[in-house]
Amino acid sequence: MEFFTRLWRWLRGGPAVDPLAGLGVECPWRHRWDHLPKRSAGPDFTPQDYAEARARAREVARATLGEARWAELQRQGYLDVPSRRFPGVTYRLRVGRRIEVRCAPGVRPPWRQPYLCINPTYPLPEEEFFAHLYLYVRDREDLVIRVAAPQPWDQALGRTF
Amino acid sequence: MPRIIIANRRGHQVIEWETTDTEEARAQIAIAERILAEARAQGCVVSRKVGGQHVLDDGPFDPQAEEYQIIAPIAGG
Repeated sequence: MEFFTRLWRWLRGGPAVDPLAGLGVECPWRHRWDHLPKRSAGPDFTPQDYAEARARAREVARATLGEARWAELQRQGYLDVPSRRFPGVTYRLRVGRRIEVRCAPGVRPPWRQPYLCINPTYPLPEEEFFAHLYLYVRDREDLVIRVAAPQPWDQALGRTF
Repeated sequence: MPRIIIANRRGHQVIEWETTDTEEARAQIAIAERILAEARAQGCVVSRKVGGQHVLDDGPFDPQAEEYQIIAPIAGG
């Protein structure tokens, strides 16, 4: 009952009592992560934490992509997503890597550099972020175009692990 | 049971709610709605499972949705 009382106060903008605090769920948008080294989840993470996080990430990435796309990713090591904005352009997505921009013969590349660097703003297992990036490229290409940092070569992403 | 998948460094964590007409269910739904609103306000986007696949979704919170997922904001570089 106390939980509901606290929830009601919180929903009405009352004293800063946060019912999420007791749920044991980490909401990463509530924290700052700039201080973390690249490809790290934080100093409190043990090797077992990494292993468990990657296992959970794999499970949800598979469910997010769906069986057909997941199988395609496992078979060929990447997923191609055709651009809706630039005819003849395809985005090639690999787990934990920059996006490769591929053009059909005769098509002028939209960027001078062939790779796009896009990271999550908080640390995530790389397969989890791969599924996010797939949704962004497929459903929000305009946002991808706006934030992408073109790069001359491929490289591992810095905010995933 | 409807749920929100919160992607975080733990891989993900899940919030579920009942859709029955009880005080407890209403409280769970209020939490779920608040989480989605808070995440969107902080730059996250939300996907919703529709017809067996996730699609990015701008719509209002629907307590009857099968599954939402909070998608990390992205930045270049």
